[in-house]
Amino acid sequence: MAEPILQVRNLVKHFPGNRPGETIHAVNGVSFDLIPGQTLGLVGESGSGKSTIGRCVVRLLRPTSGKIQFGAHDITTIGEGQMRPLRKEIQIVFQDPYSALNPRMRAGNLIGELVKLHSDLGPQARRERVAALAARVHLNADLLTRFPNELSGGQLQRVCIARALATNPKVIVLDEPTSSLDLSVRAGILELLGELQRETGVAMLFISHDLETVQLVSHRILVLYLGFVIEDGPANAVFAKPSHPYSQALLSADLPPDPDVVLDRQILQGEVPGPVNLPPGCAFAPRCPLARDECTGARPPLVGVGENHHAACVRIADGTNDIRAAQIAAAGDIHKKFQDQFVRRTT
Amino acid sequence: MTDVSLTGTALSGFSWRGRIFGIARRSPTFAIGFAIVAAFALIAIFADIIAPFGPIETFSREVLIPPGAKFIFGADGNGMDVFSRVLHGARYAFGIAVPSAALMLVIGVPLGLIAGYKGGVLDEIVLRIMDVLRSFPSIVLALAVVAATGQSLVNVVLVIGFLDAPIFARLVRSEVLALRSSGFIESAVAAGNPTWRILFVHLMPNAIRGSTAMIAVRMAWAVRISATLAFIGVGIQAPTPEWGAMIRQGAEFIISGEWWVALFPGAALVGVVLGFNLLGDGLQDLLDPRRKATGK
Amino acid sequence: MSLLEVNNLHTHFVSHDLNNRLRVAKGLNGVSFEVDKGEIVGIVGETGAGKSLTAMSIMGLLQLPARIVEGSVRFDANELVGLGVEELNKIRGTQLTMIVQSPLSSLDPLSRVGKQLVRAQQEHRSISADDAWRAGADMLATVGIPDAERRMRAWPHELSGGMAQRVLIALALINGPRMLIADEPTTGLDVTVQAQILDLLRTLVADRDMAAMIITHDLGVVAHYCTRMCVMFAGSIVESGPVRQVFNDARHPYTQALISSTPKRIAQKGYGQIGGPPPNLYDLPLGCHYRDRCSRAADICHSTPPVTGVGDKHEAMCHFADESGANPAAAHHG
Repeated sequence: MAEPILQVRNLVKHFPGNRPGETIHAVNGVSFDLIPGQTLGLVGESGSGKSTIGRCVVRLLRPTSGKIQFGAHDITTIGEGQMRPLRKEIQIVFQDPYSALNPRMRAGNLIGELVKLHSDLGPQARRERVAALAARVHLNADLLTRFPNELSGGQLQRVCIARALATNPKVIVLDEPTSSLDLSVRAGILELLGELQRETGVAMLFISHDLETVQLVSHRILVLYLGFVIEDGPANAVFAKPSHPYSQALLSADLPPDPDVVLDRQILQGEVPGPVNLPPGCAFAPRCPLARDECTGARPPLVGVGENHHAACVRIADGTNDIRAAQIAAAGDIHKKFQDQFVRRTT
Repeated sequence: MTDVSLTGTALSGFSWRGRIFGIARRSPTFAIGFAIVAAFALIAIFADIIAPFGPIETFSREVLIPPGAKFIFGADGNGMDVFSRVLHGARYAFGIAVPSAALMLVIGVPLGLIAGYKGGVLDEIVLRIMDVLRSFPSIVLALAVVAATGQSLVNVVLVIGFLDAPIFARLVRSEVLALRSSGFIESAVAAGNPTWRILFVHLMPNAIRGSTAMIAVRMAWAVRISATLAFIGVGIQAPTPEWGAMIRQGAEFIISGEWWVALFPGAALVGVVLGFNLLGDGLQDLLDPRRKATGK
Repeated sequence: MSLLEVNNLHTHFVSHDLNNRLRVAKGLNGVSFEVDKGEIVGIVGETGAGKSLTAMSIMGLLQLPARIVEGSVRFDANELVGLGVEELNKIRGTQLTMIVQSPLSSLDPLSRVGKQLVRAQQEHRSISADDAWRAGADMLATVGIPDAERRMRAWPHELSGGMAQRVLIALALINGPRMLIADEPTTGLDVTVQAQILDLLRTLVADRDMAAMIITHDLGVVAHYCTRMCVMFAGSIVESGPVRQVFNDARHPYTQALISSTPKRIAQKGYGQIGGPPPNLYDLPLGCHYRDRCSRAADICHSTPPVTGVGDKHEAMCHFADESGANPAAAHHG
């Protein structure tokens, strides 16, 4: 496997809360590697800290602690002045292309801005580069003179991707790049991202709450809950055999767009708690159908459940981490008890 | 809630006539205000051609003549033609309004941009200076400063410009605060834009939109305050054909029945101020149609 | 006769631009469908297809410059188009209600939950405050809010997204409506909460013998929670029918493209055709509006396609509707 281009270790990001003395624990010790030519998927619901992680990686936010190593540079806490030249190597595409582009600039200038900032090309060479980039993202050249409000969502997201590509970056963070797009447009964007990755070998961090999309594009997956990694592993392994009870519930809540698929869902009670006061022990314990006393003790570490596949659940040790199996077992117990009573009464 | 696509609007078949009626339909207020201001602007430009006499041309034997065939608006106490003086007065109105508005923007907009974007101590300092400036009754402050620095057109412009700059600094600052966390600023930072580019290339064009209507309103205020200063006697002095100075001159004749000396410059002043204010209100409607649709 | 019958509905946006030219955006171009009690009908389509506009037209909530220029909306055999606000209010809010996308912004931020529930009842019938309060608390319990009495005293901002959506459902159901329109009821909610809300909706519709219409862009929601579906494109319903039949035997190329662009299908079959920008509603092409994006467009597509029945209650608006696409993803692959 290729050397990682970007390493994140024990990333922690806290924000001051709304009330004095309160702290929002957005990210609580997250580690991962980005490998050239590969996509790491970050999955989680609201409050899981996935977008905060993305913003820390591109240093729009300054981590509270931990380490972000990009190649030979430790970029964890460097100032904007030192970061600026590195920005051409680490780019980001945001969720909402409608708000991510300056409404007063034309598409061509929006793409050209990146070229202008990070190269010494003259105006003519710059125009050629912009035209090449537009062609690369399948954006019609006559759209380049338009303002963002004259473009559709899919076209805008292509402009954003062209911007991100303009400097030949080594890492691209994609923060829900398709969530605000229509289904038929989404597919085109995902296909484009795949093409670009194969061509340029860029490492991608793909952040999404849409499990099916993440499964489609990712090589590895990190499942987040309240700022903790509760499971990580190769995409196929995690989807085939989710080990943490939360991953199981999350994957089972997905609604495949196919009426013939029979749903087998474990519906969780309640909602993700606020990140101000973290639950003790396992963050998922208050909603976990399999929680037991020790779950509220120490935070469970990630333990191996397969090749390169880890999950943070204390029940993995004794193999009782499967919600469905537990339910069947419980149903069996009741059945057995009932049978026992029945048998006793009749004899 | 309108679920409708507005992309791809072609602007073929542009016609000035169509555009004028289109704007007038959208905001009659703007159309009227624009017409008034434009009329006065034309008067200011062509005052020399329209006016039958020079602004300080004196007819020493025709003092205080009521409006008539020779002096349409009558003649004042010095035997000058009120009509010609009112026309030339428009030059002073614009000569004060336009440069002082420019000054307000040149000072106020960058301050607002920096204070809003950088925040923190800098923002506090700028805000407190603004507060101090705003807490003086502006007319008293203007009076004091002009009285101290000398009564010239340039000084009046400088005072008005500095006094009103905080208004634009505040407006721009609040826009910047709203824009600062918006997606395109975040993506401009991530793109590697230096701070000056973020301020002036990305923030400014988006942050001054809300100020455009205010510019017209403050121009009205500039005309008024300059007239007020002249009326009190600390601004531009007679015999300069400044409307405030002319009203001051004419005020003493009102009791004795020579009403025309003060009335006509007064009417012109009201007209221009009204024009600028209507223009400002209309711009607001045009720039933010929702405000009007929802009844504010 | 069905509970709700929408017939040939045309809703246009009529305005003048800055050049004083009359501009007409054809938001809805002859929308017809029915919803009967016991049914959950899903309306799918992309942004600008007219999903929400359909709901607003039915509810009489259009604001200028949008207005219905043709067509009828019959609810329980009463014509709603052209009714005055007073008559309309006797029906909407009581018999026909709607919940919208952003739950928090649709609650009155200055009133407690209980007060809003009481007010919703007292606006439509004479009921004592005590009775209305009790009915409100019962309704909160019905929609799955634990500790309902305490929640009655909560302020909207104290509710989580899922809770707010439940309160909104309670408000919509408090007067015992016969039909509920839900506009993107779970967009913005987490997947694990989405499942709770959709299950609740389905149970309520079944228990109360209601009809429901769910507007969504999520094919998964339609596949698992709706009985019938209507696919909208550029202000027209291009295909409608029982959910299973549409998914397995889609006849309109747009429906086929939509289904084949879900990640699951892409994983199976690879990337199919790429979607384009939505058509300009100010300048819709004559004939089939999907023509420019359609891979099988032919000369005949310059004439308006007929609505062709292709199965039991399954219709598609395409000249080629009779040719079974068999497998929608395979039909246009490559």
